[in-house]
Amino acid sequence: MEDLEGKPGQFTATVHQEPRYIDEDKCTSCGTCTMYCPKPVADFYNERLDVTRAPHIDYTQAIPASYYIDAKECLRVNFETCNLCAQTCTAKAIDFSQKPAKHKLDVGAVVMAPGFGRIDQEVLEKFGYGKYPNVVTSLEFERLTCASGPTEGHVVRFSDEKAPGKIAFLQCVGSRDESCGNGFCSSVCCMYAVKEASVAKEHEPDLDIALFFMDVRTQGKGFDDARKRAEEKYGLRVIRARVPRIAQVDGRLGLSWTTDDGESHSELFDMVVLSVGLCAPEDARDIAGLAGFELNHYGFCKTSSADPLATTRDGILVAGAFQGPKDVPESVTQASGAAAAASEMLADGRNTRTVTETFPDEDTELEAEEPRIGVFVCHCGVNIAGVVDVKAVRDYAATLPGVVLYENTLYSCSQDALTTLAEKIAKNRLNRVVIAACSPRTHEPLFQATLRSVGLNPALIEMANIRDQCSWVHSQEPEAATEKAKDLVRMAAAKAALLQPLEQPTVDVTPKALVIGGGAAGMTAALSIADQGYETVLVERSKELGGNLKRVRFLLDGADPGKVLKGLVKRVKKNPRIEVRLKASVESISGYVGNFTTTIAVGKKTELVNHGVVVIATGGQEYRLDSYLYGESKRVLTQLELEERLARGKTGLRNVRNVVMIQCVGSRGEDLNYCSRLCCTQAVKNALRIKELRPETDVYVLYRDMRTYGFAEDAYREARKQGVIFLRYDPERRPEVLKVGRGIKVRVFDRLLGEDIDIPANIVALSVGVAPGENDELSKIVKASLTSDGFFLEAHAKLRPVETAVDGVYLCGLAHGPKALDESVAQAKAAAGKAAVPLAKGKVPVAPLVSHVDKDKCIGCGICEKLCPFNAINMVKEGKRKKAETLTASCKCCGICASHCPVLAISMGGFTDEIIMAQIHAFGGDGCGQ
Amino acid sequence: MSKSGAIMVLGGGVAGVQTALDLADLGFYVYLVEKKASIGGVMAQLDKTFPTNDCSL
Amino acid sequence: MTQEGFNPRILGFFCNWCCYAAADSAGVSRYQYPPNVRVIRVMCTGRIDTRFILEAFKCGADGVFTGG
Repeated sequence: MEDLEGKPGQFTATVHQEPRYIDEDKCTSCGTCTMYCPKPVADFYNERLDVTRAPHIDYTQAIPASYYIDAKECLRVNFETCNLCAQTCTAKAIDFSQKPAKHKLDVGAVVMAPGFGRIDQEVLEKFGYGKYPNVVTSLEFERLTCASGPTEGHVVRFSDEKAPGKIAFLQCVGSRDESCGNGFCSSVCCMYAVKEASVAKEHEPDLDIALFFMDVRTQGKGFDDARKRAEEKYGLRVIRARVPRIAQVDGRLGLSWTTDDGESHSELFDMVVLSVGLCAPEDARDIAGLAGFELNHYGFCKTSSADPLATTRDGILVAGAFQGPKDVPESVTQASGAAAAASEMLADGRNTRTVTETFPDEDTELEAEEPRIGVFVCHCGVNIAGVVDVKAVRDYAATLPGVVLYENTLYSCSQDALTTLAEKIAKNRLNRVVIAACSPRTHEPLFQATLRSVGLNPALIEMANIRDQCSWVHSQEPEAATEKAKDLVRMAAAKAALLQPLEQPTVDVTPKALVIGGGAAGMTAALSIADQGYETVLVERSKELGGNLKRVRFLLDGADPGKVLKGLVKRVKKNPRIEVRLKASVESISGYVGNFTTTIAVGKKTELVNHGVVVIATGGQEYRLDSYLYGESKRVLTQLELEERLARGKTGLRNVRNVVMIQCVGSRGEDLNYCSRLCCTQAVKNALRIKELRPETDVYVLYRDMRTYGFAEDAYREARKQGVIFLRYDPERRPEVLKVGRGIKVRVFDRLLGEDIDIPANIVALSVGVAPGENDELSKIVKASLTSDGFFLEAHAKLRPVETAVDGVYLCGLAHGPKALDESVAQAKAAAGKAAVPLAKGKVPVAPLVSHVDKDKCIGCGICEKLCPFNAINMVKEGKRKKAETLTASCKCCGICASHCPVLAISMGGFTDEIIMAQIHAFGGDGCGQ
Repeated sequence: MSKSGAIMVLGGGVAGVQTALDLADLGFYVYLVEKKASIGGVMAQLDKTFPTNDCSL
Repeated sequence: MTQEGFNPRILGFFCNWCCYAAADSAGVSRYQYPPNVRVIRVMCTGRIDTRFILEAFKCGADGVFTGG
């Protein structure tokens, strides 16, 4: 980006584009150019651990799936010599006449997602990186453990290419370290270190791996559990210490450290992995300067906890690690949230710039004729033809029943080949097509589009995968590969002959959303959906909006939670598209994405609402306990209760000389099996508040790991500076709260002294964590499952963090798991963005491969209904009998119903019994199955 | 003048790509701008992801 | 039957989402394996009916592989 002018709704961005020197449309990704290029270049994708050539593709699955020329390295570009690649490229894709281009883009909003930058080399050098070959970065190690990496997954040390016996992971390299200017916690390294160590152990079970943590910060959903399992399964040694430096001793690496019991240790390792943190992108200042928004003091994008996706300039949003170090699921969540925020701003502009493809009507007559199959056997350059005798396969295809056209193509997926394919289908009146080439998973949609372009139903094509599952994996056995290719083509042709056109049904969507839960997450979601232009019903169980936010008195970034709450409530009440139902609960939900009908009980009345999507934002609750003298002594409070007291100002702390905070009360295995994520920051926040109100009060925090991830680390450091005393305890020796006369004291094992100490306490604040709300009933009503901890389960932990397994049902906030306010807000926007997709489309497509029940055959046994994992089959009364019926919008095409139907009444489009049997018979060869 | 129906997303890592996909689904035209020759960002370099050890690609 | 020279014909039912995808990525990584399996892609191994397996044996399969 070179420039950004204009105002929200109407920006003009100037973007500079470098030439690739390889025409994306012509490039077939065959790799010949890389093979012939004489200029070696460091392979950056593999962290420079490998070498590639000037023309290359970063990795095989890269998108665009075309090669490009590294202009900095190319001899032709820089010295006008060589040109070898252009001469050897059979597709004539190499084009040195390409010039840099400038684009002026009219856009209504900009989303900043430039990611994160790399920690300075200097910081790594302090740990011997660059000096000792066996000190590597975590990203280098990641490539080493990767099967498609430079060592094919073998972990070797660089000094002698031998397998290391002992590996040490050093955490917090370039994070939580003010000396390098990165005082924040990078929030991801603890997890990836455990992952890399586990993967390494899987490759080499004899490895001895030690991980050096300051604190173990695996606070994400399910992360603590996964870490514990990994530690046990792989025998990872966890050492709580920071290793100050590394020395090389007789070719090995000597590490010395001191643990918090005051003891010094030293040990030799063969390899050291530096768990490097995430810092602000190198070009953050340029981007912020050009676009006119502010950065925080670490150079990340400046945002507030009430609106984490907005930059300081209107119309410019932010998502991902640029907003603060974060992992994949949180980045994905913020991304969906930013999309929703942009969609709110530009609701008027929706569908004004999009393009719709149109297709000719289907030739149903031709489709109904006897199968006229065309078989196209692809060379894929040398990828297939170099191993498989493609001409023999083509000639073999000619002998198969129904085949009227059989040809070879050089690259069947290239644009010109697709045009030719369309022409040949039309000219030869083909009504079934077999493409023997690569994988249908990647290429079938391309050929289906070609079929549609000539008026054929896209279901009438079958692919034989003679590349990925044949030539590539049997390259040493060309004859056997050719035989396999013939068999695969025979089976594909047998299937093709029986393929039937499938409908492409769509279902209309009721353009209305139901949001369950009126806390910060629910209100944010409702507002976002309404601002995107859709009606929303917000259901709240209690008598007022606000949820847990009502009890929060301070936020770490100084914002006033009361104001945030008031603002949200006011906007919800004012919004004409939001209807609020208080003292209301959801009784039942029926239907499927696009068409839900819900019964809501409001007071004593019930009400029916039709809507297209559901957002679950039912929140969580403060964990309740009866230990640690809670409830017995007035001096024992929860953090939220303490916060309440601190809100009264100095009077709340009259005569309070000692405050002891105990972390992980309930959480992390005591009662709740997970980390509640927000309590460490909450404790630090309250500790700082106490120090501010009454500096002479002593504050003790008894903790297991301080998990003040991200920028909250600043507050933790500040609390230490202010004299807050942090003492670590082991879960085996939990602190005890004891009565002493009318007062209380806390007994805790002091690791440095090696004995129990008693701390008199005027107040004991328990960090009790977040318990799930009463989710069981709702889970049954919406058919969305819960985790073993009682929170709602997302569809995919990484890539679909705000969707549930049920289409049209989304989740956010504490209902998903413990999290801070800014995270709840981002997630709520994300859920709103996802929920608005079906509303914006107006129709939801139904996969054409869905199950179909033949009602005449169905005996109403109900087996299919019970077995369907997606609740996509209903038993419907027809006359006297019940009959199964597929809810096509919910069906995921697994076919479990069809394989279990005792009377074979269920068929799956494209995967019917008849078709699979035909494939099996074709597998068997001549005369089989007759 | 009415608001534009197009949006620019700067950065083609997992956050940028997800934003772009969602915006397209929501009925907007998206310009996805990336410095490198391919999208995917650092996630594409990861072999597996914590905690399920699913492949990143 | 001796092990030597035994060249079994195996029919594989591969789930589109996992095993079939894995077989594709084995190809991308150029892993080499014996060329004895012929593949039928299904959208889920849940689709596999016992009859398919029996029919495969009837049609001369020496083994049936289900991957899901």
